Amino acid sequence: MTRRLSRREFVSRSLVVGGGSIALAHLLSACGGGNESTTQLVIGTPDAPVTLPTVGEPIADGLPLESGTLQIYNYADYLNPETIAAFEAAFGVKVTVSIYDTEEVALSKMRSGSIKPDLVLGLTDSVLARFVAAELLQPLNRGYIGNFENVIAGLRDPYYDLGAQYTIPYVIYGNGIGYRTDRDIDTSVFVGNEGWSALWNPAYAGRLAVLDSYRDTISMALFRAGVFDPNTSDASALSTAVDDLVELATLTNPKIDILSYQEIAGGGRDIALCWSGDMLAGVGYLPEGESPDVLGFWYPEVTPTANDFFSIPRASTKPVLAHAFINYLLDTEVALGNQAYVGYQPALEALTAEALVNAGAIPESLVGALVTPERYSAGKRLVSLAPDVDALWLDGWTRFTTG
Amino acid sequence: MWRGYALPGTVWLAAFFAVPFYAVAAIAFGSIDPIFRNARPAWNPLSWSFGTFADVLGEVVNGQLRDVFVRTIVFVLIALVLCLMIGYPIAYHLARLHGRMKSLILLLIVLPFWVSYLMRMLAWVNLLQRDGLVMRITAWFGAEHNWLDGSPTTVILGLVYGYVPFLILPLYATLERLDWRLVDAARDLGASPRQAFWRVTLPMSRTGMAAGLMLVALPMLGDYYTNDILSRSPRTEMIGNQIDFFLNAGTQPQRGAVLVLVLSFVLACLAWWYVRDNARQQVAR
Repeated sequence: MTRRLSRREFVSRSLVVGGGSIALAHLLSACGGGNESTTQLVIGTPDAPVTLPTVGEPIADGLPLESGTLQIYNYADYLNPETIAAFEAAFGVKVTVSIYDTEEVALSKMRSGSIKPDLVLGLTDSVLARFVAAELLQPLNRGYIGNFENVIAGLRDPYYDLGAQYTIPYVIYGNGIGYRTDRDIDTSVFVGNEGWSALWNPAYAGRLAVLDSYRDTISMALFRAGVFDPNTSDASALSTAVDDLVELATLTNPKIDILSYQEIAGGGRDIALCWSGDMLAGVGYLPEGESPDVLGFWYPEVTPTANDFFSIPRASTKPVLAHAFINYLLDTEVALGNQAYVGYQPALEALTAEALVNAGAIPESLVGALVTPERYSAGKRLVSLAPDVDALWLDGWTRFTTG
Repeated sequence: MWRGYALPGTVWLAAFFAVPFYAVAAIAFGSIDPIFRNARPAWNPLSWSFGTFADVLGEVVNGQLRDVFVRTIVFVLIALVLCLMIGYPIAYHLARLHGRMKSLILLLIVLPFWVSYLMRMLAWVNLLQRDGLVMRITAWFGAEHNWLDGSPTTVILGLVYGYVPFLILPLYATLERLDWRLVDAARDLGASPRQAFWRVTLPMSRTGMAAGLMLVALPMLGDYYTNDILSRSPRTEMIGNQIDFFLNAGTQPQRGAVLVLVLSFVLACLAWWYVRDNARQQVAR
């Protein structure tokens, strides 16, 4: 049997609970610490390149290599385990790889200090400004990176980081449509920005996908509508693009994921908005005995094109070893070996389409998925959005994904 | 002295429920860092801001999130009915069984828990894909269906498959304790087997059904990975997927936290119904 509280007991217990809440609030507030930002973002665009503010000094020249374990933070399946093993053998160290799903998660975890990697792979310029503003990265000492000269000439002084102070390009890719050449995909429509309309074809319902990336997928709809600005703040253009995506959802019930490199290769999907590297990587996921010719990629004339990069956190405890790893991956032969697993195209000058085909790294049917210097310069870049603009994009994404 | 025994449980709840829940509320009623887009929790309730909460609530009631909530509830309701239709006969027969067979069936029900939920769902993807076993068998019978085309049916069946053992076990525990002499008495008094079931067995197993349905409904309502793995299309987007997106992939964790609170409110209503129903049952006895 329960006893009813008297009014006096109720008041006294309420005071205890209330006081406890305030004490808890103070305690949690103290634990949370001051993570309020007061800095401004320095965002580069191709039209307005930037020199990022320098935080700290690069490591000194001539330091000895550290021993122990190099902790790398990377996307899944974005480094060849054999390349890592070869680095370990060559330098007598151990390498461990932690995985992040999105750049936002990587930023959040590194800011909170819940992960302290020695080297980060896969970041793009859409978050670089925030990493620099949070003082998470250290300037690089290119004296340790002799192979920097192997990088594609156009990326040695990128618009997002003039002088390549903090970043060294890793791979390059462009957005397009990946498809199975052995299924009923009408490739005659792949012309101009109208080619994107292939994704609105109801005949492909249930076997089509778009990228689980609001920037890439909404940009695709913008490009189809003839708006070639993947960073637009035009609410009307965004609204129209999202309306079109809702129509796409109605017509084709697309999957929304980043698994097309596995799914198209495995035969479970016939057509998808994807990154060019997905189809190159797909070769490794084909069933045994299947020809790579079943994989096709339409590379639009105007499309988002990007590269991601290596960067070294300020908190790295093995900065010399991290520099050595970057230098190792910039070796043409090593990069070729890494590409055999990762699929994505290394951002190296020597690894042209012809060189990759000749080396047997890319089947001829997928030469069209390679980013050439012309394509890179014609490509559009996705840069960081202002918070209010980002909110507009996210609202549109919610409208699309909620069906 | 007896109250002292509640201390460990109270500390446990405070540490692992109250504090995290307060943190979610602090995020929901806090703000977003304009530069880094991470949550800036408002730990002091006096500085809570309700703007985002009102916006999201508006979307849930009459905006783009309404369809997701409705869809989630419909999926869960259908899955619950199917769970009950599958689980009740199993629990019933299990309660009537004796000896080794009973132990064997119990073991078979518990067996799936030895493999992680994620792995079991991934296994289903393999079975259901174009050259998978299920597709080959159905094709052999002349029926071909693309189960992985992003349809609600696959997601609902996935939910049923994943959670039905949670319904069977509490239901079995109730049915096993049931006084079967009452059923015999009903039969002796002229009730047919069907009448005895509907008028004696079923009402007496109501507590077990409620417990099982609660155990299944609560995780289903927040589930996101079943849809993530088996479908991930706009037609099957559930509220858990939106929470996952806002908290992990997007730059609006505050909205994710508000959705957690709204979902918690729905779950609390369910839990309240269960507790009240349970109390009434006990009083009736």
